[in-house]
Amino acid sequence: MLRFVLRRLVLVLPVLLGMTVMMFIIARLLPGDPVALAAGPNATAAEIAAYAAEFGLDQPVTVQYWRYLSGLLGGDFGVSIFSRRPVLDDLLTYLPATLELVLAAMFLAVVLGIPAGLAAAVWRNRWPDYLGRVAALAAISMPRFFLGLLLQLGFAMWLLWLPLGGRFPIILEPPPLVTGFLTLDALIAGDGTAFATACRHLAMPAIAMCLSPLATIMRMMRASTIEVLQQDYVMTARALGLPARQIVFKYVAKNAVSATLTVIGLYFGWLLGGTVLVETVFDWPGLGLYATQAIVSQDFMPVIGVAMVIGLLFVLVNLVVDLLYGVINPKVRYS
Amino acid sequence: MTPTALSRISRRGLLALSGAGLAAMTLTLPRAALAEGRNILVIAAGQDIPNFDPHVATGYSASFFLRNVYDPLVRVAGNPPQAVPALAESWESSADGLSHTFRLNPAARFHNGDAVTADDVVYSFERALRLAKGNSWMIRGIVEPGRITAVDAGTVRFDLAAPFAAFLAVLPWIFIVNKAQVEANLGSDDGMAWLLANTAGSGPFAVKRAQPGALYELERPATLWQPGAGNLTGVIWQIIRETASQRLALQQGEVHFAVDLTSEDMDSLRDRPGVIRVIEPEYRTFSIKMNTAYGPMADVELRKAVSYATNYQAIVDAAGYADLMIGPLPLGILGHNPALEVYRLNLEKAREHLARSAHPNGGLTLRMVHVNGLEQQRRWALIMLDSLKALNIDLEIQPMLWPDMVAACQKPETFPDLFPVYQTANYGDPDNIAFAAYHSSRNGGWQNAVYKNPEVDALIEAGRREIDTAKRVGIYGRMQEMVVADAPDIFGVLERRKLGMRDAVKGFVFAPVASNAIECHGLSL
Repeated sequence: MLRFVLRRLVLVLPVLLGMTVMMFIIARLLPGDPVALAAGPNATAAEIAAYAAEFGLDQPVTVQYWRYLSGLLGGDFGVSIFSRRPVLDDLLTYLPATLELVLAAMFLAVVLGIPAGLAAAVWRNRWPDYLGRVAALAAISMPRFFLGLLLQLGFAMWLLWLPLGGRFPIILEPPPLVTGFLTLDALIAGDGTAFATACRHLAMPAIAMCLSPLATIMRMMRASTIEVLQQDYVMTARALGLPARQIVFKYVAKNAVSATLTVIGLYFGWLLGGTVLVETVFDWPGLGLYATQAIVSQDFMPVIGVAMVIGLLFVLVNLVVDLLYGVINPKVRYS
Repeated sequence: MTPTALSRISRRGLLALSGAGLAAMTLTLPRAALAEGRNILVIAAGQDIPNFDPHVATGYSASFFLRNVYDPLVRVAGNPPQAVPALAESWESSADGLSHTFRLNPAARFHNGDAVTADDVVYSFERALRLAKGNSWMIRGIVEPGRITAVDAGTVRFDLAAPFAAFLAVLPWIFIVNKAQVEANLGSDDGMAWLLANTAGSGPFAVKRAQPGALYELERPATLWQPGAGNLTGVIWQIIRETASQRLALQQGEVHFAVDLTSEDMDSLRDRPGVIRVIEPEYRTFSIKMNTAYGPMADVELRKAVSYATNYQAIVDAAGYADLMIGPLPLGILGHNPALEVYRLNLEKAREHLARSAHPNGGLTLRMVHVNGLEQQRRWALIMLDSLKALNIDLEIQPMLWPDMVAACQKPETFPDLFPVYQTANYGDPDNIAFAAYHSSRNGGWQNAVYKNPEVDALIEAGRREIDTAKRVGIYGRMQEMVVADAPDIFGVLERRKLGMRDAVKGFVFAPVASNAIECHGLSL
């Protein structure tokens, strides 16, 4: 298994390298003039040229790329030409917020989606199944930003149960920074109130984010379970008079969840790259917003940095999923 | 296996799960009222503060930050805007307008306790000029290194390279840093890396905490020396990107100001309890620039025809809270001529001018670009499409990203026939808009990509050199007539500033310059 993990990790390197090459090429093919934009409307031609020289953008692309790559080996992701902030600092600021949101959404999607799929399959063509299928269809069809606005209207404006947005009340000091995950940092600090507060802020954005993966996981789980329920060994278990609970949870669910795992891995990457709308609606200071602002202003160092981080996380999560196959099904061999 | 047996188990489980979720959600929230009890003002804004360096940062969020954390020599206040004392308690100018002497307030202290001296002022201006970033363009060619003198610790004199009527108007945007602090953290980039996230100011607030992308909290420094302070103990710049969310937060009392509201938001806030709508004219123009240097629009008769064919009422309706412009300068600014004869919808005149153009029967297609996603610009493009049909002119509408539009401005050949653009006055003087939007030295930039008239250039230069106000009014009057005659723009609207404010805020006075970068020193809750 160790060889498998190492081989997969080594394969990450050419993927990331390819991404940097592609991003550099795309950045140069686009017609915009980010330097003139960053220098401001009142900059003279000489000032714009000086600005470009300061960031090395007056050099040939190959030189720029080599400098970037050399810096990357030392952990330098470059500098934003607009804010002048090191991209690494920004990534470390924004990534935990996005990861916390995505993990919370995935947690909800898995914790609710798998039992719901299981229930729908067990009660196939009965009311829990119909209800689940209709709910799944609605969840997949509902745009996340629209759902976000509806949640805000209902829970923040009318019921006053949850905050409109943000990660933590602006007037309170967040727990001391350890991981950047406010919920986790609150637990580390042993501050139950801060944990509850962070959870309340996390609730609506996570719900808005989770519905689509939840629906997919539920449908996937339902289909897999139906397939497993028709297997001979399930029939045998029934014939032997094993309790229903034992059949479903011990034999059926375990075998049905394998296929769902793939979806979970893929959705993780999809959510990481698609947080921007939810982050905008809920003012969640995450990577999606950061990347979008960088893309719109053609500030390419942050864009490349974000793409690399998401790419890396995507590969790692799918590696974990592959390893989990083995945990769930001991027959899986890593070769 | 019987479904009934399973259903009992799962239902209970599901109900338990639902109950737990609901309980978690129904916990009550800490409300923003807390902020009011502690006299902390909360401002909702869509823009992050990109950089703390007063000689590098730009944008309204940076302006807010710098106006509250740093001090300039003078500040701008009132309507019409006037220079009022800040670090300088008094000043005098020579009769020829070349020499300006400022006496510093002896009480002025930086946040670290150092006294603010003339040396700091000299250092700050020279640093701004050396870096040539941020707001330094306002004093470029006017203030020169070596001609700013620390007469004594409390007096500084500027010997300008040329008289500059707007000198006092630009000073509020050049902020003074603590020379000792910056020099101690100079690095290899003139302290830019250090000042990116640290401050060396003397303003009425200091940074308490900064959470990029989320909020910035300011607090009163122990060295507070400015007179006239309100009862605020702190200010929070909270980033709320959606204007609808800003409005909701204002309605709920979670913020005291919302600074990015749309006309639709303002309509929604009408008669809301506890909310005050501030809708005031500001020096922010929105026009459609025409390509005066290349292609069909280089023909002045065609430009006049298009100007007369434009449905101005539809344009002002689409803009919401706005006033139609009368010529190139903002309404109410020094020298603006409200009686100026400008273009209004008149199809007869439009056809007369079209007949005199190279396209007497129309039959051409013009290209108009607009910023992708800016709804108001898209609406204007549709209005122009409709307006030009009367002249048998078709319009190709092309949404573009802003960086691409900026790049298109570099050459007349790439500049579109019609180009809508906002121009915000950075200082309350006609020189600002006149120079940025109509002086040919700006050609190649988005504010004035192509328009060039040497006589207009000469008038603009005369206007900035002349220090006699009456003579300046005459100069700008002539300049406006000439620009209107050249018809380089479809003069659009002057957008009114739309701020939402809670009625708990006391002491707010609107000023039509950078009014969304609120100065909080004198405010109370």
